[in-house]
Amino acid sequence: MWNPNLDNRQMEKRVVVGRVRPTWARNLPEVRDDDDKSEDLGAMPHSDPPSPSEHWDQHGKPDEKYDVFGKVMLLGDSGVGKTCMLVRFRDGTFLAGNYISTVGIDFRNKVVTVDGIKVKLQIWDTAGQERFRSVTHAYYRDAHALLLLYDVTNKTSFDNIRAWLGEIREYAQDDVVIMLLGNKSDSGLERAVRREEGQRLAREYQVAFMETSAKTGLNVEAAFAHVARALIAKANPVDPSRLAVRAHPTQEQRSSCPPCS
Amino acid sequence: MLVGQSIETGYAYRLPLNFKYGNEDKLAGLCGVIQALVSVVEEQNQDILRSISTKDCKAIFLVKGPLILVAVSKSNESETQLVLQLTYAFNQIVSVLTLTQLNRIFEQRRNYDLRRLLSGAERLIDHLLIFMEKDPAFLLGAVRCLPLPEKARENITNAITSTCNKIRDLVFAILIAGNQLITLVRMKKYTLHPSDIHLLFNLVRSSESFKTAESWTPICLPKFDATGFLHGHVSYISEDCQACLLLLTVQRDAFFPLSQAKHTIAEKLRRSNCLVAINDALNRNKELPTTNPLKHIGIPEIRHFMYKCKSTAQLFTSDPISLDRLQDYRLRHKEGGDIMVKKIEKLSDMDYVRNYRRFCSQIHCSSTPAKLIFRSNSDDTVLAWVTNGFELYVTFDPLMEKDHAIRAVDRLLHWIKREEERIFIMHAPTF
Repeated sequence: MWNPNLDNRQMEKRVVVGRVRPTWARNLPEVRDDDDKSEDLGAMPHSDPPSPSEHWDQHGKPDEKYDVFGKVMLLGDSGVGKTCMLVRFRDGTFLAGNYISTVGIDFRNKVVTVDGIKVKLQIWDTAGQERFRSVTHAYYRDAHALLLLYDVTNKTSFDNIRAWLGEIREYAQDDVVIMLLGNKSDSGLERAVRREEGQRLAREYQVAFMETSAKTGLNVEAAFAHVARALIAKANPVDPSRLAVRAHPTQEQRSSCPPCS
Repeated sequence: MLVGQSIETGYAYRLPLNFKYGNEDKLAGLCGVIQALVSVVEEQNQDILRSISTKDCKAIFLVKGPLILVAVSKSNESETQLVLQLTYAFNQIVSVLTLTQLNRIFEQRRNYDLRRLLSGAERLIDHLLIFMEKDPAFLLGAVRCLPLPEKARENITNAITSTCNKIRDLVFAILIAGNQLITLVRMKKYTLHPSDIHLLFNLVRSSESFKTAESWTPICLPKFDATGFLHGHVSYISEDCQACLLLLTVQRDAFFPLSQAKHTIAEKLRRSNCLVAINDALNRNKELPTTNPLKHIGIPEIRHFMYKCKSTAQLFTSDPISLDRLQDYRLRHKEGGDIMVKKIEKLSDMDYVRNYRRFCSQIHCSSTPAKLIFRSNSDDTVLAWVTNGFELYVTFDPLMEKDHAIRAVDRLLHWIKREEERIFIMHAPTF
């Protein structure tokens, strides 16, 4: 039987990842997001395990079921393709032509299934411009995973990655999952950053790395799946010892060969 | 240069002279000249440089804190109107950065390149300048409202107040669509100036990204408080209704409660059929009397009008009747009026507004303000009239007689009075 008290203690020790649903609740529908009880205002799916007295089967929407919840933030200079990446991931389309500049932070949800486990990703798409830094900084701390993007055709965006990693170290949680993505990898001749340079930088900072293309869809699913796996590993409340092993970043290897669990 | 058919507006930043448009080398020279002009007048003559006029154009200068703003215009805008445009441009910059940040940057580094912080906001300034040229709302310092049945607007307002009245620190809840205000609910004691509302319109109109996701963005409203940011939850009500809801708070981490509130509001609006009412008004459903008021009232001699309700600082304009449509319309109504001999041209709202500018500046002239202007010539007849309650600008057919015009205006005013509750927001709801 699941013991809420025991779990609470475990959760405190670990850095918590979203609301982890107990095994018994996995296949029950999620509490409705737009539940308008006023005391629920502000209560996002948060880190405490739900009390068994909550009625999971009320107001449930079948497509809202999930086992693990995590907050993912997209970072990087303006124009590297954060929004395009996200739109490709969420809707499977590419925003060709006009440049849609994000104002502040945009929020979207998507549930992905990896290894049979449903992971609800709440994805925060941030504006790359400097003037929004103070807004985005406030959200670093709550993020469980960060996708840090540069544009392989724009050397400056790559050079700025070190500065971004510095900010992440300053503002984010210590055990946040970080993944470096070289976007626009379909660009061919316009490329200004070689794949190896990206790999080297990722190795230096011990973060996972992939080259992606929001235009062709290359590695977009894979990048988010990688993040989802890392979140599952972090969130698994049943076996904290396994977490300790996984939490240590060996992700660089994983990017080439995702764990087949 | 910053845009508009006839306006060129430039910004010279006080020490490093930067520019978004055009060739940077040339502009550096131009900005050097601008700065020299301003500082010579300032330092040697202890005076302020306001404008320079040449035969066919004028340059207006506005020094605002660390920035010098310059507008060069060949159009018929008065100096006051150009200063107003520059002030708006400055307010737009403040809205992005706050005055505090703007001043601090230049205190720390006199040669700061402001473009760095404004990157991504250029389009806000571009859009604002175009918007100002098109929309009489700026000229009159008023806000345009989406005409809605009184009951529908009341339901919308109730949906917002009933959902939001328990949310702490929510300062404003604003629903807008197509640069028109649907409703504005505010915290007691606080009001929103029309020019701040215009900046919000401009932000929503210029930001495509709001259409794709719920956004959380810092917004400074210069007239409300230029020193700090409000935090805004910005989202469109639904995919099938292009009304945008802004929930502005002072809490920087209130995104999730506001997101929840938004979904509740959207659901309530859908259930009470308000989305349909909004869409009808937005799509200018032909059955609505406000869609084509001139036709509805039956005063074909009026081609266009704009009316400002002074007590609420709100504006209503007719859908302009272009001459070819007018002709068609008259044939159907058998009301005569020989316009066949005239060149058929299409006039837009913007053309009429451009025409009103001169009358507007005469009415708002600080030394000898006019109360009533009637000018008739072979192109058109214009009547401008200001009272304690309203400001009215009407364009009639050419060579209109005065008493005929006045009769038409009477009917128009009578109609406006009758439809007041529909075309204006007469109450100022609070949480």
